Amino acid sequence: MDASGGVQRIPHEQWPHEPKFKRVNGWRMHYIDEGAGDPVVLLHGNPAWGFLYRKFVKPLTAAGRRVIVPDMIGFGLSEKPVREQAHSLDGHIANLTSLLRQIDVRGATMVCHDWGGPTGLGFALSNPDRVRALVIMSTWAWPLPPAEFHKRIFPWRMMHAPLVGPYLLGRHNALTGRGMYLSVVDRKKFRAEAQSVYEGILPDPGSRLLTWTWPRWIPLDSSARGFARFEWLERELRKSTFPTLLVWGREDEVFDHATFATRFKELIPHAEGPELVTGRHFLQEDSGEEIAGRINRFLDRIDGRQS
Amino acid sequence: MTQVGVVENAILDGKRKALVLAEDRVGHYPEFREFFVQQFSLDANGLPRPGYVRAPSGMIYALVFIGRSGEPFPDGLEIYALPDALEPLNDADVDADLWALLRWMIAGVGGEWRVEDLDATGRLYQLSVTESA
Repeated sequence: MDASGGVQRIPHEQWPHEPKFKRVNGWRMHYIDEGAGDPVVLLHGNPAWGFLYRKFVKPLTAAGRRVIVPDMIGFGLSEKPVREQAHSLDGHIANLTSLLRQIDVRGATMVCHDWGGPTGLGFALSNPDRVRALVIMSTWAWPLPPAEFHKRIFPWRMMHAPLVGPYLLGRHNALTGRGMYLSVVDRKKFRAEAQSVYEGILPDPGSRLLTWTWPRWIPLDSSARGFARFEWLERELRKSTFPTLLVWGREDEVFDHATFATRFKELIPHAEGPELVTGRHFLQEDSGEEIAGRINRFLDRIDGRQS
Repeated sequence: MTQVGVVENAILDGKRKALVLAEDRVGHYPEFREFFVQQFSLDANGLPRPGYVRAPSGMIYALVFIGRSGEPFPDGLEIYALPDALEPLNDADVDADLWALLRWMIAGVGGEWRVEDLDATGRLYQLSVTESA
């Protein structure tokens, strides 16, 4: 079956990549696949898409690596289901698993950010024969406790509350616009080069469903959906022997490094870092090239090559 | 404060139902589901008729409650404007009406959910409907 769905290239000089599509787990997933060498899989979260990694592709491919950047189902150029019930953490892990098996990714470095964390780590821990290393940025992989930010009514829980979420994040596209803007350091640069791209990729209220659905999957107590999967993630991550690099935004107020990078370090004591860069939650926007360089040097160390 | 009132006998002749907002998981925070159950006596009334409210513009809105097997009722909620059958919606009016409806809902849910926090959230995200809030 042709999975292109008639969607073609984004006419944007910052994203000159050939769009590719696979049908995964019943959905049409967009991804790019550039370069040759050991694969590096770059995983975004809410409400971004592969564009978040636009400054990673060239330095990684220039260093002799294959770069795969999927758009999560519900975001970017991938299919956008119109019912909340279409989304689950397990389903998104299965979506990624389907893609990476179809394109036979082996020896992958999984670069995980935001919801790309629970999904990418879920893939890595259930497919260890296909993964060789982890890079973890501004995310989490345990059921409790949540970030202080995620416990607060204002603004987080109010923003995605019943009916408020579809209104604020759906009708008004609050997360891709103002939300991302507030979560970068250089807001002027973000507004000039990126904000309209993130807003434009989710043009209609119905296309923004996942922006208020993902926040509802963050466990706040033991009754949460996905609680058992997060328990499994934490348990398996403790056993992980993957070489791991932690990279965090110095100014991150959502998953602050003192709490979250420290917790990852406790779960994965052999992890390198945390290496702090300029950045709030969307640290790729402020320090894209720098983080790509850090990933190259990390992988060179694994390979025993000189950077 | 909220400028929204429940309407017991909405007049539907010459009107159409125009879907303006849908919520697939009204019980994500269970107190929201409980608010609608209490407000429209859903435990007793169930599915036979929507709930109707009048919003600040004067438009009547129908609240259609959705049940799903295995989930407490209501699980979902669709909000329909009831304009004159052949007339287009005024998007700004609908937007302001929905905001008023959200404020009415939050006031009714109560507890830790405060209208002040909804207004602050709207202002944080620079919604024009919060300018008079």
